[in-house]
Amino acid sequence: MNFINIILIDDSAFDLFIYEKLLIKSGITRTVKTFNSAREALKFLISEESALPQTVILLDLQMPDMNGFDFIDAYAKVPEGLKNKIQIFMLSSTIDSRDIEKARSSPYIIDLLPKPLEIEVLKNRLA
Amino acid sequence: MSNKPIRILYIDDEEHNLHSFKATFRKQWDITTTISVVEALEILASKDFNIILADQRMPIMTGVQFFEKIRDQYPNIIRILITGHTDIGAAIDAINKGEVFRFIDKPWDYVYVENAITHAYDIYKTREDLKQRNIELQKANEELDKFVYSASHDLRAPLMSVLGIVNLALLEDDLQSQNEYLELIRKSVKKLDTFIINIIDYYKNARGVPVISNINFEELITEVQATIQYLPEFGRLKITSDIQQEGVFKSDVMKLRIIFNNLINNAVKFQDPSKENPFIHLKVEASSEHAKIIIEDNGMGIREIDQDKIFKMFYRAGATNSGSGIGLYIVHEAISKLGGGINISSVYGTGSIFELNLPSINK
Repeated sequence: MNFINIILIDDSAFDLFIYEKLLIKSGITRTVKTFNSAREALKFLISEESALPQTVILLDLQMPDMNGFDFIDAYAKVPEGLKNKIQIFMLSSTIDSRDIEKARSSPYIIDLLPKPLEIEVLKNRLA
Repeated sequence: MSNKPIRILYIDDEEHNLHSFKATFRKQWDITTTISVVEALEILASKDFNIILADQRMPIMTGVQFFEKIRDQYPNIIRILITGHTDIGAAIDAINKGEVFRFIDKPWDYVYVENAITHAYDIYKTREDLKQRNIELQKANEELDKFVYSASHDLRAPLMSVLGIVNLALLEDDLQSQNEYLELIRKSVKKLDTFIINIIDYYKNARGVPVISNINFEELITEVQATIQYLPEFGRLKITSDIQQEGVFKSDVMKLRIIFNNLINNAVKFQDPSKENPFIHLKVEASSEHAKIIIEDNGMGIREIDQDKIFKMFYRAGATNSGSGIGLYIVHEAISKLGGGINISSVYGTGSIFELNLPSINK
């Protein structure tokens, strides 16, 4: 498998630390970029645009300021060329059926993965 | 509730009935009269009434037909029909179509009329109260819903972090890293514990019976300070206090402790690491009537857009280092339960000043 470029968006410093280590350890990727603010992550994506390689985003749901669904709403407006290089998975501990339904029905979220992240599950979804 | 008089609209084509009704009751009730149903409709559109009285036999339409017409548009107004003859057909229609509350026979007995109207108004008020309760209940349910949603996140998230760390630790052979992971687990568990304590505080604050006692601010502040100065994030912080208390100030010590604990903890947590001498300064001026409490820090400060939102439940202002968003909500609830108020003045990057004003609870 080729190495993939991964971006983590999560307000929890713990979770950023854990998942960055886990992803690198698993050999799935060599480069993980982390953001503790969805707003900052969005700015980064827009500023990179053409320079951005194929990327997988793991997006937390409950965050202050801009939450995961707010991020998706803003993401809907980015250029198609940029969207074509990005795959978004939501990564959340939510067990709320409305959240699950909302994530499932979003055209931009491939899947909602439960926390803690199981690397095998992610690998299968990317294969 | 206000002591506004009962508002009554009375429609009768016989004008002398209107006059005698008005002459008898105008001192106790707010009475509007008209001889025409057409005019009655216009009056209804421009003024709120509690009760409508209508004569059954009128030109254009009968009292029952009039009630039937207005029933859907003004469902809250209680309807009373006045009849000159005991007409069973009209009575049946009145109940089935006009849904009237009471009949009044002509010529009327003033005591009977007064009773009928008093009862009608009781019904009106009961219905209004019920409606108000329903609105409040609905609001409480929505808040509960939001509470459960956010609380379940704040309870599960640290646990899932711990599980994540455990999964990671299982992949690791190096003992040094294992210790690092244990430290992370400790922090995550601590965070969960803080949240649980907050929830219990919230519950005690919302449901607990207040215990009013004499407050010694000096003691209270020393006690709160003792619990926080060993926190790892305490750092180089300096806490100074200036307490001037004269006379006996009475309040609920449990709520005061929650208030001081949360505000001082926040000042500890949101220190500005770039500042040379981080401080918290507490100032209390208390008398037997009132206490003014000022908590000032030179921490990170609160952005202006966040200042009116930070007291909302689960509102989290910062992206980093922020808690669950319940602390200041509890502070706000506790202060309002004590009959006081809180003001913030904060400059982002400079620091924050919280000013509390609390009355002494002298029963």
